[in-house]
Amino acid sequence: MTATADERADVLHKAGLDGQNRTTLGRMLGTGDVGYAEEGDDGVMRATVRIPEDQLIFDPSIIVFPHGGDIELTIINDDKNTHCALLPHNGDPKIIWLVNHSKGTARLNLDGPGAYWYGSTTGNDEGRGLTAALVMGGEVPDSAKLDRPPQPRP
Amino acid sequence: MTDYVDAGEAVAHRTLSNVKGEAPATRNVDYERIQGARSEPENWLTYYGTYDGQRYSTLNQITKDNVRRLVPAWVFQAGSTGMHSGASTYSFEATPLVVDGVMYVSGPDGKVWAIDPKTGEELWRYKHASPFDTSLCCGNVNRGVAVGHGKVYMYTLNAHLIALDATSGEKVWDTTNGDVRAGESGSAAPLIVKDMVVVGSAGGEFGVRGHLDAFDAETGERRWRCYTVPKPGEPGSETWPDDGEAWQRGGANCWITPTYDPELELLFQGTGNPAPDFDGGVREGDNLYTDSVVAIDVNTGEIRWHYQFTPHDLWDYDSTMENLLFDAPDGRKLLAHADKNGYFFVIDRTNGELVRVFPFVDRITWGEISADGKVTPKIYPDEEGVPVHFWPGPAGGKEWTHMSYNPETGLIYIPVQEVGATATRRRREFKESIPYWGAGVAVDLDDHYGFVSAVDPLTGEEKWRWNHEYPMCASNVTTAGGLVFQGTPSGEFVALDAQTGEKLWQFQCGSGHHSSPVTFEVDGRQYVAVPTGWGGWVEGFLPGLLGAAAGDALFCFALPED
Repeated sequence: MTATADERADVLHKAGLDGQNRTTLGRMLGTGDVGYAEEGDDGVMRATVRIPEDQLIFDPSIIVFPHGGDIELTIINDDKNTHCALLPHNGDPKIIWLVNHSKGTARLNLDGPGAYWYGSTTGNDEGRGLTAALVMGGEVPDSAKLDRPPQPRP
Repeated sequence: MTDYVDAGEAVAHRTLSNVKGEAPATRNVDYERIQGARSEPENWLTYYGTYDGQRYSTLNQITKDNVRRLVPAWVFQAGSTGMHSGASTYSFEATPLVVDGVMYVSGPDGKVWAIDPKTGEELWRYKHASPFDTSLCCGNVNRGVAVGHGKVYMYTLNAHLIALDATSGEKVWDTTNGDVRAGESGSAAPLIVKDMVVVGSAGGEFGVRGHLDAFDAETGERRWRCYTVPKPGEPGSETWPDDGEAWQRGGANCWITPTYDPELELLFQGTGNPAPDFDGGVREGDNLYTDSVVAIDVNTGEIRWHYQFTPHDLWDYDSTMENLLFDAPDGRKLLAHADKNGYFFVIDRTNGELVRVFPFVDRITWGEISADGKVTPKIYPDEEGVPVHFWPGPAGGKEWTHMSYNPETGLIYIPVQEVGATATRRRREFKESIPYWGAGVAVDLDDHYGFVSAVDPLTGEEKWRWNHEYPMCASNVTTAGGLVFQGTPSGEFVALDAQTGEKLWQFQCGSGHHSSPVTFEVDGRQYVAVPTGWGGWVEGFLPGLLGAAAGDALFCFALPED
């Protein structure tokens, strides 16, 4: 069975893959929403992610950034359980503890292009659905590119 | 609902650990000091120990007579958290460096540590965030760091050359040097020469154009770039189709650290396979400078001479592995190289002239190289869809893992892999970042073995052989204590008598070896350190152990203090 992108949410729901304790025990990774960061005048890219009640998911579960650089991520735990977030960062991962109904911030620096996963590293939150992605778009600087004509891409 | 509880700001993960956060300041490591590295055997200052790549130490506290008493002094566990690239292929491949009582070592997934080499205590750590989706032909690996000018240099998975403060681990500069969208990556240990840091690119399985680069050690500014596939009109371009695009995707990556001769001011860089690996029909010609040693002027980045080990490669026979420098009794400056193609080459390193070539493995069916260096291919994937079996397989008779040379015995100790493969040519279009092999490849699941071969490079005679049921997939190191230390795929770390090959000691590390051991001394006690952790391109060099236990621990051995 195949589905178009528009039909995908319906297909995931019908299959019981987009929630807790339906067909799967937890929520399949990568089945949440996609969000976009906004770049401020200061060059910092900002986004907000929430943990909705009883869903064990970071929402949006994929945040797209226009390029690598400095990030300010606001993280809100709307759940009635305690979670955390271990996030990628150049230098060392950063961790924030998120008790029920809490809000915090993570300042990160990540290279682009490339995708990075983060998760709530308590119990098996990561397996239940609390694993999400920060996706850096863009290209490497011209100085890092190969001296050759443009090549075909997939 | 009440206001949110303030969760504050995320903090560095290491602040919730027992890492000290600072390493003692060491004496500065500069070009002069690295040139004299052999005179301070208590340290392991640079990737091969010395610029010549001999991997020989004059330390002799641990000897043939007492090595049976060797015990672990400490174990350092790398560990991992969260989802990372190469989750099933990571490997602890590094060479630890030791400077004045501080060990610096890199691990998988962008990690670097400063460690107390007496106790294993973690002094500082740095972790470069590595994209999950980086193109990696052969796993999430890093082969080591360079230390000098008060800094620690690492080439990251996503092809950034970074400099860290040697006492704090804090980043000093970061230079993006490769195009991850093109399939480039980084895994080699940088090399400090003069006031520069030299490092090469990886990504030959994705159809990139290989290069070696030099950077200002203080600022990270690139001084020169040497492409190892020429553009049309440049010397060597006549070995590529003149009406095609093959050179643009030609490979020849420099994913292993070069050796260096300070008198000649030449870097000896091994280059990787051409791309596509197995489909030569789209790249007629010898395909310079793939599968070669290129002698590069360290001041300008210009190629002075080259010697190609496998012209028009059709078997994935990279020649990136070390070019070990030694001098003949008559003073002739030589270079030794054990190639993937199963032949051992001795070359005059002043001009690239072949001195001697001989096989160092038992089974060679791909072709033949005569005593005067003439290459005759015999079996290769040629016809579309027709399987062809050949020895050595694409991981070669010896892969990147390093041999060592003991001046006291005059022998070179080669870790040998005996495993074949079947390749079936399957032509495909080139697309950036997609693997560009031009074949389906299956390496033999059984019918494999290995050995350490002690060879006299002046005659080609094999003096002894230490046999093992599995191919040798790790580097070795030899010492003035008359020993050769070698790790095995099945986890044993063994000490061999350098004169006879007799096994004198072993310790089971719990996971296979695919790294480079070193030896050093602190406060009068000699240590032998070896990262362990089975992984990397296992399906290439030993798929019969694809199910073996992974790991990522650094073991350090010494004689009992009492």
